[in-house]
Formats: sequence, structure tokens, C-alpha cells
Amino acid sequence: MEHNKNYVVGIFSDEDVLLDAVGSIRDKGVKIEEVYSPFPVHGLDEALGYRRTRLPIAAFMFGLTGTCLALFTQIWMLGYDWPMIIGGKNHASLPPFIPVTFEFTVLLASWGMAITFIIVSDMKPYKWPRQFDNRSTDDKHVMAIDLATNKLSKQELAQLLKDNGATEVNEKNF
Amino acid sequence: MSNNKTYWKGLPELKNDATVIKNASNEFGDAPEDNGHSRRDFLKMMGFSVAAVSLAACEAPIRKAIPYVNKPADVDPGIPNYYASTYINGGDYCSIVVKTREGRPIKVEGNILSKVTQGGTSAQVEASVLSLYDNSRLRAPYIAGAKAKWETVDAQIIEKLGAAKEVRIVSNTLLSPSTKAAIDAFKAKYSSTQHIQYDPSSSYGIWKANQQSFGTGFIPSYDFSKAMTIVSVAADFLGTWVAPIIFTKQYGVNRTVSVAKPEMSRHYQFESILSLTGANADYRTPIKPSQEGLIVAQLYNLIAAKAGQAALSASIDQVANLEDAANELWENRGKSVVVAGSNDPAVQVIVNAINNMLGNYGSTIDTSKPMNFRQGNDEAMDAFIADVEGGKVDAIIFYNSNPVYDHPKGAKLAAALKNVSLSISTASTEDETSALCGFKAPDHHYLESWNDFEPVKGSYSISQPSISKIFSTRQVQESLMLWAGQENVEYFSFVKQNWTNWFHASSGNGMDQQSFWDKCLYDGVLDVTGQSVPVTFNSDVAAAGSWIATNYKATGTDFEVVIYEPCGVGTGAMANNPLLQELPDPITKAVWDHYVTISVKDATDKGIDMKHEEFAEGRTQIMTIKVNDQTVNIPALVQPGQAQGTLGIALGYGRTKVGKVGMGMDGNGIGVNAFALVGSLNNALNYSATTGITVEKTTDIFRLAQTQIHHTSMNRPNVIQEETLTAFKERDKSKGPYNPKVTKWDEKLDASALSMWKGHTYNDHHWGMAIDMNSCTGCGACVVACNVENNVAIVGKDEVIRRREMHWLRIDRYYSSDAQAGDYAGLEKASENPQVIFQPMLCQHCNNAPCETVCPVAATTHSTEGLNQMTYNRCIGTRYCANNCPYKVRRFNWFKYHDNQQFLQSNPSMNTDLGRMVLNPDVTVRSRGVMEKCSFCAQRIQLGKLNAKKERRPVKEGEINTACAAACTTGAIVFGDMNNPASAISKLLEITKDEHGAAPTDKKAGNPRAYRVLEDIGVKPNIYYLNKIRNTKAAKPA
Amino acid sequence: MQASSSVREYLVTGGKTVGDVSEDICRQVEGKPTTLWIVSFAISAVVLAFGFYCGCYLLWNGVGVWGLNKTVGWAWDITNFVWWVGIGHAGTLISAILLLFRQRWRMSINRAAEAMTIFAVICAASFPLMHMGRLWLGFYWCLPLPNTWGSLWVNFNSPLLWDVFAISTYFSVSLVFWYIGLIPDFAVIRDRAVRMGNKTRAWIYNSLSFGWDGGAKTWMRYESVALILAGLSTPLVLSVHTIVSMDFATSVIPGWHTTIFPPYFVSGAIFSGFAMVLTLLLVTRKTFKLEDYITIYHIELMNIVIIVTGSIVGIAYITEFFIAWYGQVPAEQYAFLNRMGGPYWWAYWCMMTCNVVSPQLFWFKKIRTSLSATFVLSIIVNIGMWFERFVIIVTSLHRDYLPSSWSMFHPTIFDIGEYLFTFGFFFCAFLLFAKFFPVINMAEVKSIIKATSEKKH
Repeated sequence: MEHNKNYVVGIFSDEDVLLDAVGSIRDKGVKIEEVYSPFPVHGLDEALGYRRTRLPIAAFMFGLTGTCLALFTQIWMLGYDWPMIIGGKNHASLPPFIPVTFEFTVLLASWGMAITFIIVSDMKPYKWPRQFDNRSTDDKHVMAIDLATNKLSKQELAQLLKDNGATEVNEKNF
Repeated sequence: MSNNKTYWKGLPELKNDATVIKNASNEFGDAPEDNGHSRRDFLKMMGFSVAAVSLAACEAPIRKAIPYVNKPADVDPGIPNYYASTYINGGDYCSIVVKTREGRPIKVEGNILSKVTQGGTSAQVEASVLSLYDNSRLRAPYIAGAKAKWETVDAQIIEKLGAAKEVRIVSNTLLSPSTKAAIDAFKAKYSSTQHIQYDPSSSYGIWKANQQSFGTGFIPSYDFSKAMTIVSVAADFLGTWVAPIIFTKQYGVNRTVSVAKPEMSRHYQFESILSLTGANADYRTPIKPSQEGLIVAQLYNLIAAKAGQAALSASIDQVANLEDAANELWENRGKSVVVAGSNDPAVQVIVNAINNMLGNYGSTIDTSKPMNFRQGNDEAMDAFIADVEGGKVDAIIFYNSNPVYDHPKGAKLAAALKNVSLSISTASTEDETSALCGFKAPDHHYLESWNDFEPVKGSYSISQPSISKIFSTRQVQESLMLWAGQENVEYFSFVKQNWTNWFHASSGNGMDQQSFWDKCLYDGVLDVTGQSVPVTFNSDVAAAGSWIATNYKATGTDFEVVIYEPCGVGTGAMANNPLLQELPDPITKAVWDHYVTISVKDATDKGIDMKHEEFAEGRTQIMTIKVNDQTVNIPALVQPGQAQGTLGIALGYGRTKVGKVGMGMDGNGIGVNAFALVGSLNNALNYSATTGITVEKTTDIFRLAQTQIHHTSMNRPNVIQEETLTAFKERDKSKGPYNPKVTKWDEKLDASALSMWKGHTYNDHHWGMAIDMNSCTGCGACVVACNVENNVAIVGKDEVIRRREMHWLRIDRYYSSDAQAGDYAGLEKASENPQVIFQPMLCQHCNNAPCETVCPVAATTHSTEGLNQMTYNRCIGTRYCANNCPYKVRRFNWFKYHDNQQFLQSNPSMNTDLGRMVLNPDVTVRSRGVMEKCSFCAQRIQLGKLNAKKERRPVKEGEINTACAAACTTGAIVFGDMNNPASAISKLLEITKDEHGAAPTDKKAGNPRAYRVLEDIGVKPNIYYLNKIRNTKAAKPA
Repeated sequence: MQASSSVREYLVTGGKTVGDVSEDICRQVEGKPTTLWIVSFAISAVVLAFGFYCGCYLLWNGVGVWGLNKTVGWAWDITNFVWWVGIGHAGTLISAILLLFRQRWRMSINRAAEAMTIFAVICAASFPLMHMGRLWLGFYWCLPLPNTWGSLWVNFNSPLLWDVFAISTYFSVSLVFWYIGLIPDFAVIRDRAVRMGNKTRAWIYNSLSFGWDGGAKTWMRYESVALILAGLSTPLVLSVHTIVSMDFATSVIPGWHTTIFPPYFVSGAIFSGFAMVLTLLLVTRKTFKLEDYITIYHIELMNIVIIVTGSIVGIAYITEFFIAWYGQVPAEQYAFLNRMGGPYWWAYWCMMTCNVVSPQLFWFKKIRTSLSATFVLSIIVNIGMWFERFVIIVTSLHRDYLPSSWSMFHPTIFDIGEYLFTFGFFFCAFLLFAKFFPVINMAEVKSIIKATSEKKH
């Protein structure tokens, strides 16, 4: 990550106050780097104007792959590669193949999506996150504003945060 | 241009040494010369070495042995050779064909060329091949318990014989003319010699009676196939009486019913224990042994009344079915037979008289062709034992006999033997008698022996070795001749010479001596047309009648004991054969155990705990039974059909000097010796005790091992189908006996017509089986045959108690019940005198097999010939297939039954080097944790197909047969190709392809008796059963 | 934002604040193990060891050491398998289905329930493995792997193979679901460790949390993953026991060959699953002093689920009998009469009382809100459910079509041993989880504190 970046960090203790704050601060044309919370605050992503995640699409694709793969494998193995007479049944008939197909679909979908999530969120077991205030996992909501990306001065931003209900305002340099 | 540098391979090349030039073109200069050995030669060599290794102590390959089929006599690995030979055990006889692989006999089957046994076998015959590899066999001669050389043995014996004043040779019935000749040669040298014959299960009474009736003592030939009415008073002629194999064969003829021949014999049985024969009877009346004589007498009286002859002084009333029996006998004069199991000459005289009145002599009974199976003379034996006790005898040779164990006076003999200066046992295994003998000169096993036999007058057969002797044993005949002072004796040439002398002239029809002899060996049998001596019946019936009147009683309240010979271990000679020990008794389904059978009522009176929930699983109590001065402790087995006030105790148990197997799991022996209980009546052995008996129940618990612990068919029509002969005659023959319907939303369809799948067509073969429950007597020969053929593990008593026997083929035995349908509790109880039905049950090779669908790894699949195949290597042992098998015919290897000392006692054929020689090399020995089941003898099918392929021809009908079908004496089991309209099975079942059925593979049987077990669940088996038909007036006789 | 109706009781009592949540939940992770914990862990470990011995003995000697026979090829092994799988249903069900239904009362119990699921499924899986005659081959021959034997594949017609896929899928998906949920809470512990200056713990829990930062973007993705996983798990959880029930339903054995099995098994599974969750939570709640998070209200709601599912199971039993009578198949009719009056009547009536009668007591509010009563009944229900499977498997097998092969089953010490083995494993695993992982989903609870927490007085 780039060095000598200065941030103004606003600490909020109430999610509703935080949500209003995000709204009004962004109305002032201030660009918010990111907000860190101990639990998912509903509506925060809209307030920050994030685009909806496309993980569902990924999941669907993975699932589809699973379905096709499972069906193909079963029909090919029992129907074409080595047909056997089993209980007088047809070599390749659909009904008995449904359960495995379904299970395999779910398997691929869930694992595929979970792994994608880890990757896109750039999470690694050995990586320490960049934390502006480590109470953000306990009971505080932390709003980080990058000075470099804003025209307002440090004091103005601090004031703005205070006005919008930040319980305290700190400064953080990396 | 390329630069061709040559490098010298050393100086010789540089110097152009001669050898170098010679080998220049030959890259592998020093390779061995090719002296024309082909791959085939290598196989031959290998085969020979395999054979040589397997034949321990084998100094030369089999000489002058002609294979049964046209094959070279030398051993080809993987290719079986067949030799005609003869099974012999005491007086029991069977003409057989021995299958050898790599020089080892691995299977015996009936010899169809024999006019005597006609290809029939019995469980004992099938099992006998394992006795050849019995670990308890003596491997050398012994003197006073110490190994010795034959030379020293002979020297000492000859010396002692010289000094002996009185010499005796004791044997069971001897069928062999050449052996008798050898004995005569011995007698010639030692004039004092007497040859005494006795039988563990004596028929001396019949012999004696005929002596009185006809002047000469003999046992006539019976022909049950000619009899439409059969009355047997306590004669178990299908199980053990005189010649069961022959009688079973004949009996089957008139028990099969078809549209073409809607007639069958009617069989009345009067007996105390529920015997195999009684189980097959149409009418069975439980009686007490003390009534036997009177019943025979009463039968005489009833018939005499019709014949206008005087009645006897003896009589008895209110014997169920006796009048009917008499009437029908009279209606079927000349087409009937009366037999009695009693050993009392008086009773047999009356039986002769009855048969005489009925004119059965000359039709169903042939006096001109006597049977030689029982020549034992009880009086002579008694006299002999008396002599020994009196110290008169000073040299005894025991041959083919074990009197110390299997004669009632064995104990006395044992005591007296010590004082006999020269006692020789020729038994090939250590037994009670040989243990007491100074000398042991072990005989060959019959599969190692040359011998000849005359089972029935004029019918001869040969026994040839199918393996060279395994141990340092010697044939008794040779021993006798040696001791008689003859030089370089060779029994083989002796027999050959005899046959040439006796038969070449008469039966040679133009062949030179050698080819006549070869033909005899090839066939194994020879029939000479002898002149028949006409005999006339003339005997004092009245005297016999008065004897009976005084010695039998019509009513009695105290207990009576019947001592019978079981179908499995017989009289105990084969007690060390695990195949027989684990063969379920046809009736009680008990294995590995000795027990006293007792009627339900008596058991209740004696307070046997039948309420205990584990009673059904064989938890019973031990009874103390006093017979005169003898006392035995023996567990009780509650037996439906057992006559009230009687107890049944089997012979053949209580061996004390026998191999590991016979000594049981705990090594203390199995059961008690019942021979001690056998008494004497009218100068003949009496196999029942009617007086001086006390019965006490102890509190000791005993666990019996039974392979079937639930005895009724619960009135399930989809399992058991039976009807009376009249019902069969009258009913509509266009349908089978059982046609279950399946209900669809709009209509009812035949169960077989409904299927979710098209099925798969079997284009070339479609193997199937038909089992006739009418001609199946339940004897169990097929079970043993299957075990031997398919290397089925014998798991021992404990595992059977845990319900884990491995038999691929079992015979389900169901008793009838008096309860009504729906009364499930009642249906579990058998009738007091139940009707019995036998149903051989094996893998049904279902076309829509439920086992195949559920196997996760496809270890069991269907072949394109209709076989349900089991792939042992692929099986991971989830047991799902066994659970889902509606017939419960799949068997799981719970433990490692081979190479596992835990199963040494019960399974020597997989746990000892000697025993392993019996294993069929074509069949895998299954490992632990895999499922197994009947394969329809896939290896035999394969062999047949390969033979046909080698000869570039289609498979011939009858050339492929399963072990069970081949073993079945009555031909109740028919195996074949249902695609071939000419095959026996197609003809029998009247197979027509089912054009309506959804599955073209599913054959429709037109035979009105044919049905399939559990047809209603739509698994479409390839085994068809022909329903049981009873020749009774009502469905359930009183 | 979720609407919360005022009539609803408080899901969190004792006026907890968001800060208190972290404090209360992390306390037992950070503190020393209590004596109670050590004792119970020791006991579980001993049981596990004995079971392990029995397992080794079985593998060394063969399946014959169990009491099975030619007629009853499955007994305790598959009974236990189905029983554990059933128990393994509650976790995912609570998390997934209740999440979809936005049932917020699930939040304080789903973590433990999911953990229980995962351990239960492991226990369950051990039985199909151990019951195999040749485990050393079976464990991989059941998978359609390319092999050197040429075209040698598995039989996709076999319900047992469906099981292989169903169980493994269910296990791994539950694992993912559970772990994804754990990530933010690991981060909480990490940051507390940082503040306390405990470097090692901080490092460990950071790697466990994959370096979670809690940014709004991550939370957004996180939530959608959780939601989709829930959506996938819902049909999955239903499919698993459906497929397990097909082991029996697709067979031809009277008493197994029943189309009602799938719904009947699933409801049975939820039934036993909730019972087991209750048993465990009541203990955890006491030991870790979480009365404020797992309230009587939670317990009451779960008891209501038990009444419902229990009654469904009861109806299923009755339906089976009706169909047996209505279907007029003699073998089928006998199979069911044999259950009631046959040699195993006691198992049947034990099942009936435990599963059908006893849950009805929960109609009384007094009982369903009483901790001790709930605890006892929850155990009774699980005993009953074990007997249900025993009845279905053993009494159907031991007397099927041919009376000649009818037989009995007697368990041996090794049958019992394998069962103990799974118990030992289950409790060891659960105790470790309860000690080192946050037993309650803090993030979720925090998100509802404001709406549903009882205010300070």
C-alpha cells in the first residue's frame, strides 16, 4: 500500500447515527474511503453508493457447471464407456442420476462461491488488515476519509464528522 | 558420407578368432540350444511337477488308469480328468466318477452307466472326497503305538500268526469278490481263520427272515419304481435303510407328476421319529416302537381277510390309516411293496408273508437278484465277542470296521482285546478299535485303492485309484496275501486276473483280454446275466405271529427310545468329515450336534423351557436318559411329528478316538455313543428300547446350532405351492398353480407382465433351473456337492449359532400348521404330526435382481446369459445386496475363514496343507469381507462353452450341468439353456417366450405345476419350482 | 433494516450493549478452561479411546465381531448412521431455513448448532465406513475415480452411492457455511488480543479470520454469500435425509419398501436434531453463563418446533400402518404387525412412547418453558429416534419374505463400542469447539442488540 497517506478517522458508536452521517457527509461531496463496522449495518452499502456484488452470478455459473459435469459423467460412464446390465434397468436412465447431479451442483456452487468471495475480498490467512481503529470489530463504527482525495482540510473534515455525531475524531497516517 | 568406424569387441575380434567369426551373425552367441521344447511341453512339465508336489509320497504316476472320457492319462494343468470308480463305506456303495485336477481328486459324481445306482449319489458319497485328505489319516504302520516299517510289521505279524491257534477277520459287509478271494487265500494258510461280518446298522433280521421264508438267507432287490402303493413300517428307505441311493432313485420315478402322467404312488409311513422317508410320505402315522410288530401283524390280518387266509394271534386296533393302506395294497396287488425297518426276524417274516399275499415277489421284489449291502450276521458277531472274552481267540484282524465304537458290545470287546496276543487294525485313520490294537497296518483310502464289488448279484463294479497313495499305507488285500506268505503280491493284477477269469469268457463279447479290462475300467461297471434260482415262500407265519403277540404291546405309557442312523454322519465312520457335520439334518436342520428328539407334549410335560425367547434359537436343556444299565446326558430337541412317549437318539456321535473335526469345537467330542443303547431281540440287534427307561430333565442349558430356527411357511402362497393329486387332475392346466396379479389404476395384470424397463435380451444362452418339489426328498446331497464344487467355507458350530452358515444352496424345510391364515402367532407353531415340504433355495438369478441395483461399486451385475454374477475382487462388503435379497441367499465372509487357525477345527480344507488339496482350482477361495453366493457353477458353464468353442460347435444339451443338479439322485433339479427349445429344461417347463411381458428375457413356463417363488414382487427369477403334489384325499389329513 | 414487533419477547436479556456481547462471548475463549470443562473432556476422551480400541479390533478381525448375521446384515451400524445424520440436520436447518425466514431468534443458537451438525455428520460417516467388509478398498472405490483397471466405474443406480455424494456434500457445505460465519468473530478475538498484547493469540486468530477487516464492502459481499449459502443449504438439508431414506425406500424388503420415507425421515431428522441442539445448548448455556443470549424464549420456540415435527413423525407412523392395511400385501402387513407384536415389540413401543407421546407434553407452557423438563425430554426424544431407526432396520430385516431365513439380532460389546466411539468423538470435538471458538455468532447478535435487547433499568 502507498505510504505517507493521511486519513481523518471518525468513530461512531451507533449504527443509525452512522448511516445519517454517511449520507450527509457524501452530500457535502466528501469522498469516504471506507466504513468499518463490527456487524453488517443494513443500508450502509447503498449509502456509500456501492454497486451490488456479482457473487450470485458466480455461484450460478459454478452450479451450472456442476450440473452438466455430473450428468455427463454418469451418462457417459454407465451408458457408453462400460454399459452393464444392472437389475434389468436401462444402461443410462435419468431418474437414478438426479440425486448425484443435485448434490454435485450444490457442492460446486457453494465451494466455488466461497472461494471466489475470499479471493475478491483479498483475504489471506497471513495478511494483516489495514486497521484505522481496532475497536471496529468490537463496538465502534469507523469511518475513514482520505485527505488526498478530498479538497476539504483536516480541520474541516474533523468538524464535519463531529457535526454528524462522531463520538471522536482521530488522525491516522500509514 | 557417414563415417563407419568399427570398434573391436576385444582382441579376439581383431585377431578374427574362429569363434568370433562363427558367432558374428549370432547376437546372443551363448544362448542355450533350442531342443524343441514348446510352451505346451513346459505346461506339461509344470503340470507334472504340480502333480508330483501335490502327491506327497507319490513315487510313480497312476498306472494303467484309463480316463473316463477320451483324454490322455497324463496330467494337463487346468484340464480335469475323470475316472470311473466306486465309493465304499462299510456296506454303503455307490458307483462314481472321480474328477481329478492336476492329479488330485477334487469331486465325485454318480456314474450314470451303473445299473445299480444309476448316477445317484448321497451326501456321504459327495463328502467322501474330503476324507481322502483327512489330517487324522495314519501316515505309516504302527507297532504298539510306535511308527514302524512295513517290513518289520509284516515280519512280526507273520511270526505271531504262525503261533496263533484261532484267527479272526472282522469286517463290515464285504462287497468285494476279489477281497473275499484274498481272504480265502489267507484262510488257506491259516486254517483256523474265520471271517466275521457285522453291520453297524444291521439288517440281519431281513436276512434271517428270508432264510426262514425261502430257505436261503439274503436281502432281495426292491423296486419302488414299480410300486403304486408303498407301505413302510419304520423303514427309512430314502435316508438310511439298506440302499437309500437306489431306493431314492426308484422312489422318484413314481413321485413326479405331469399332465402326460397325472399319476403318482401313494406312500404310507408308520414310524416313531420323523424320518426323511416319513417326511416324504403322503400319510404318516406316529407309532411307538413297541407297536411295530403288531402293526405289521394287523396289516397281515387285514390283507389275509381279503385273501381269505387265517388271521394271526397278534393284532392292534385304531391305528390311523392302516385300513386304508391295507385296502390300497390289495387294490394294487403286484404293484405295491411293504417294507419294515425292524430288525426282528419275526416281523420281517410277516412282511414277507404280506408281500407274498400281494404277489409282490417277482414284480416289486426280486429274490433272484439279492442285494449284498447288508451281510452282517449279528449272531456270529455275538459269538465272536463271546470267544474273545473267553480268551479263545488269539489273533484278530479288523478290516473296514470299528466294532469297539459301533457295536453294542464294543465295551466288552475293548476290555477283552487287551488279552488278545495279536490284534491288527487296518483302519486308515486312528479310531476306537485301532487305538487298542497292537498293530496298525493302515489301508488306502478308497480313492487310492484297486478293488471290485458286487453290490447286487450279477452287477459288478471296479474301483480304481484316481491318485497314487498319499501316505505310506497298503491295501489290506495285499497285506493279507503277504501275511499268507505269497511273494510280490500286487492286488491290482490280482483283481485284473480275477475279472479276466470270471467275466472275460462270458461278457467279453469278442474283445481281447486287455481291451475288455480297459472297457471295464472305462465304464467302471459290468453286468453279467446270471441264472436266477427260483425260490418259493414257505414259512411258519403263525409262529412269528405268536412271537409278536408276546413281545410287542399295543399300549404303553412309559417312554420308549428309538436309535436311528442320521443322514449326515451315518454310523460315525465319517464323523471327521466337516462337510457332513455341517450338513443340516434334513428334518431338524441341526448341525454339529447330537440330541434327543422329543415330542412337543412330552417336552412340555418334562418342563423343557420353551417359553424362553431364545428357545427358538436352539437354547434347550440337557436330558438324562437311563436305558437299562446305560445312562446318557443329551440335549433335547423338540420335534413335531415325533410319536408321543418316544425319544429318538442318533447313532454316529460320541466318537472318542477321531480327528479334530469329529472332536468338536471344545475338543471333547460331539454327543454320546448311542450304540451302547442298542439291545438285542430275537437274536438280532434291536434298534429300539421299549422297557426300563427313565427320562429326567436337568437344568443344564445347551445351545443347539440349527440353520433354520423358524419352521412353518406362515401360510405364504408366494413361497410354498402345494395341492392334492385330485385337485391337480381336476384343475385348469392352462395356468400355473400360482398367478399373482398386480393392480394398476385401471386393471389387474400378471405380476410377471409388469416391468418398468424393456430389459436386455439374452441372445445366445439363457441359463435357468427347474426344481421339482415333489421328487426332491430333501436328502441334502446337492448341498454337499455345492460345497465341494465351489469351495464353500465350513464355519463351525459357533458361527452357525450366530446364523452365519455359508451354504450357497440350502434346503428349506417347512412344517404345516393347524392355524388359520391371519393367526400369525398360531401359524408359527407346527402341527403335532405335520406335513413336511422341502424347498431347495439358492440364488434365483433374477432378471430384475434387486441386489444388483443397490451395490455402490457394481460388484454384482447381470451377465448376457441371465446369470447374476458376483465379482469378489470388486466387493467392498456393504452387505446392502444381502439385505435387499428377498430370498436371503447371499452369504458374507464375516471373518477370514481360510488360513485362520480360529477355523482350523471346522474348516480343514482351507486351513491345512493336506486339506487344501481338495479345493477346486477353478473357484476362488473368497477373502474376508466380501459377499458370495450361488454362481450357477459359472466355472462349469465356462468349461462347457470353451470345450464347444475348441471343437467349433454349439454347446450340446446336457454337456453343462451344475453340481447340485448332477448330484440330485431323483433328478429333481434340472439345469439348462432356456433359449434352446430342445433342452430338457425348456421341455420340462414348456418354455415359451413371453410376448405380452415387458421383458423379452422373461420366459413364460407353460407347465401347469411351474411357479416362481415371490413372483408377486416382480424380480423375475430364472429358477422355476414345480409345486408339491400330495397324493392325499384331503388337503390336510387327520 | 429488520422490523421487530414489540410483542416479541427480548432475544437478548440483561440490557446487553454491543460491547458486552464481545466481552461475554470472548471471555471463555480467552480465560482458562474451567474444572467442569476439563473433567467432561477427560471423560469424553476415555470413551473415545475405548471406542477407538473397538474400532481397531473390528478392522483387524472382521465385521463378524458385530452381532450381524446372514439375515440381518445391518443393525446398530446403520441405525447409528441414520441417527447421527438426523441429528446433523438441525444445525444447517436452523442457520439456513431460519435465515431465509428471517427468524432472528436463531442468531444466538445457530453457531453451536452448526458445529454440532459438523461433528454429528463426521460421526455418522464413520459408520458406513466401519461397516464395510473391506474399508481399505471401499473408502475410495465408492468414488468414480479414473483407475488402472480400465473402464471400472461405480454404480450410480445405488442409493448407497447417492449417500456418498449426499453426505460428503452436506458435510463440506455445512463446513463452509459454518466457517464463513466464524470469520468476523475470529477477528473480534484477534483485535481483543491485540489490545491485551497477546501476540500469539492475535496471530492465530488473525490467520483463522483470513485477515478480516470488516469494511462495508466486505460486509456486503459477506452477507450475500451467507444468503446464497443458506439458499443452497435449504434444499441440501432436505435432500440429505431424503436420500438416506432412499436406502430403504428403494429396496424390496417389506417395511423398507415405502414411499412415505423421504418426508417422514426429514421431519424425524429435524425432530431429533432440535432435541440434540437443546440438550447441548442447555449445558453450554449453564457452563458458559450465556443465559442472557440463550433465553427461555429461545428454548420455548425450539420446543414448539419439536411438538410440530414430533407430531408429523407420529402421523407418519400411523400412515405406514394404514397403507400396510390398505395395500393388502401380506408380507407388508406381517412386517408391521411383527413390529408391534413380534420379538422386537419392546423396541417399537419404546419408539412410540418416546417419539409420539412424550413431545406432546410440550403443549403445556409450564413444561416447554421449564429447563429441566426440556432437558429430560430432549434426551428422551433422541432415545426414541434411535429406536425408530432400529425398528425400521432390524425388525424389517429379521423377518422378511422367506420364513426359513428368519432370525434374530443380538448386539455384541463391539456394536456398543463403535457407538461409544462416536459419542466420545462428538463430545471431545464439541468441548474443544466451545472452548476455543466463539459459541455465539457475535456479529449477528450485535446487529440485533439495538432492536431486541432489553433496555437497562
